[in-house]
Amino acid sequence: MNRRGFLATASGAVLAAPFLTRTTLAAEPRVRLRELYNNDMSFTEFATENEGIRVAIEGFMAPPLKADSSFYVLTNRPMAVCPFCSDAAEWPNDILAVYAQRVVNVIPFNVKIITRGTLSLGTYTDPELGFVSRVRLMDAVQERA
Amino acid sequence: MFRRTFTSTLAVALCASTAMAQDLPQANSEYFTAAQELLAERIAAENNTRPAKNVILFVADGMGVGTNYGIRLFEGQQQGMLGEEHNLPHDLFRHSALIKTYNINAQTPDSAPTAGAMNTGAKQVFNTINLDETAVFDDCSSEQPLALFSEMMSDAGRSVGFVASPSVAHATPAAVYARTANRNWFHDAPEGCRDIATQLVDQMEAGVIDVALGGGARDFAGEGVAVEKGTGRRPDGQNLLERIAGLDVQYVFDAETLAASDRSQPVIGLFANADMAYEHDRPDTEPSLTDMTIAAIEHLSTNEEGYYLMVEAGRVDHALHGGNAYRAFEDGVQFAEAIRAAQEMVDEDTLIIVTADHEHVISFQGYCGRGSSVVGLCMDISDDQIEHSGEPVLAADGLPYTVVTFGNGAGSVLIEQEDGTYSGSRPELTQEEVTDPDYLQQALIPMTSETHSGVDVALWATGPWAHLFGGTMDQETIFHVMHHAVFGAQDAAQ
Ligand SMILES: [Zn+2]
Repeated sequence: MNRRGFLATASGAVLAAPFLTRTTLAAEPRVRLRELYNNDMSFTEFATENEGIRVAIEGFMAPPLKADSSFYVLTNRPMAVCPFCSDAAEWPNDILAVYAQRVVNVIPFNVKIITRGTLSLGTYTDPELGFVSRVRLMDAVQERA
Repeated sequence: MFRRTFTSTLAVALCASTAMAQDLPQANSEYFTAAQELLAERIAAENNTRPAKNVILFVADGMGVGTNYGIRLFEGQQQGMLGEEHNLPHDLFRHSALIKTYNINAQTPDSAPTAGAMNTGAKQVFNTINLDETAVFDDCSSEQPLALFSEMMSDAGRSVGFVASPSVAHATPAAVYARTANRNWFHDAPEGCRDIATQLVDQMEAGVIDVALGGGARDFAGEGVAVEKGTGRRPDGQNLLERIAGLDVQYVFDAETLAASDRSQPVIGLFANADMAYEHDRPDTEPSLTDMTIAAIEHLSTNEEGYYLMVEAGRVDHALHGGNAYRAFEDGVQFAEAIRAAQEMVDEDTLIIVTADHEHVISFQGYCGRGSSVVGLCMDISDDQIEHSGEPVLAADGLPYTVVTFGNGAGSVLIEQEDGTYSGSRPELTQEEVTDPDYLQQALIPMTSETHSGVDVALWATGPWAHLFGGTMDQETIFHVMHHAVFGAQDAAQ
């Protein structure tokens, strides 16, 4: 368990980043998920310039892959169909993998959220889930927008 | 701003009501004179009864009458018009009909049996393709195959092709060449049943399908096998691309390789892992629906005997399922572009049909003034000018609303609460927020995916025997008109 995440919020549902960094929140660059990718799926200037830095990204929480997980996928628009519920449906290209500070309380797929975390670029395969991501937010916290 | 059709001097001279028109106070109205010109044109027009050499069937998946209206305004407004006065290319076709879309066992249809009806002349069972009415979903032992228009054309020495923006194994293109008890057997089927991608390669080997352009690379290679534009998903591990390589069928995978393909040889193009991009998100390296349509016609036209081409704008449907009118309309504009391109490439011996397989639960609010952005807020009707007043109309809750809303879907104003109940209210909206391409219009019933609707769709037709369309018809009639235009008319001419 991540201690800082535990301290941040008792309910774990919403609220912001750990209190230690709260004063710096206003300075976090905040963009919509679509501003990380160009149409050809290359990373935007915003993405490359903010690699390794804490950023705030607006998007939607896709229906989680499994219960009681700190992992979820952020989508640009509400993920109308769960790729795991529909036969052979695919994730869109322009998604963001989120590794939260603690087990996430699921927010409905069509409620806009802001996720704050450290931006990590490059292809990565999750050893546990097998999920392949091109961009991630690490050590993240999320709240309804 | 009016119907932009060619009107000859002869046609005007033939106008039966010219004398009547001159006496009326409205005779100088531009609306009145444009309608008079159209009347003259229709009086002078003759039906085209020559045998059809080629048939092109354009299907915008999910583009019912409402969605077509939305696309018309969207394109017109993009071109600087108010929008309502605009016409899509098929709006100007001389012949049209309303089409009933229900399936044998479904009031609300899906794209598989509807496309199947167009390609066989008989209604089919929900979620199945080109099987007789005894078919049982998901049970291939119940498969009683129907004969396909593509096979009839191929037997008669004609070429057959299709263009589709989803996977080439998706329901609408599959109805051109496959039979299946489950439309989701893209690359995987139970023991003893045949998946759809395999059937496409079988039909290319049999010489029935000459041109297949779309997405779905994943459906053609073994699980985890990297291919151009994607990764295989086939649990049987088969590499269908290797089979294709042995068939003298060209394989292309992006705009460049498509442009360079030999037009005289069969071709399969797999331009994306699953679905191709929405037009709004399309990278330059991926061909547009218009690029694919032009390439397909160039390929198929090398056969002097003629051809059958089906073109599907499949992602109009996907954007609507997502509750996102902007992408649906932008893909619809691309569909219109593809129709215009085709019209320029063919002549009077080509029957062109434009239709949809089904409608969605899209609706259009009132009372909006002229030129209200079809993806924006409903703006009030002005008392002193043609264009709207610039002031949003307010609902009883004191809040503005968009022109487009949906009956159900992800945009529902009823949001799931922590206790599992659903509640909510309409949020305040700004024009900037709702005209954003990613905006989801408000919907009523909460659902993860917006649904189809059973409402009639429209059909527009031009070319040989297009005049056989009219009134309200069942969807399967499309096959019968195509068949008569090609074969019936040919027999009669001999
Ligand atoms: Zn659909």
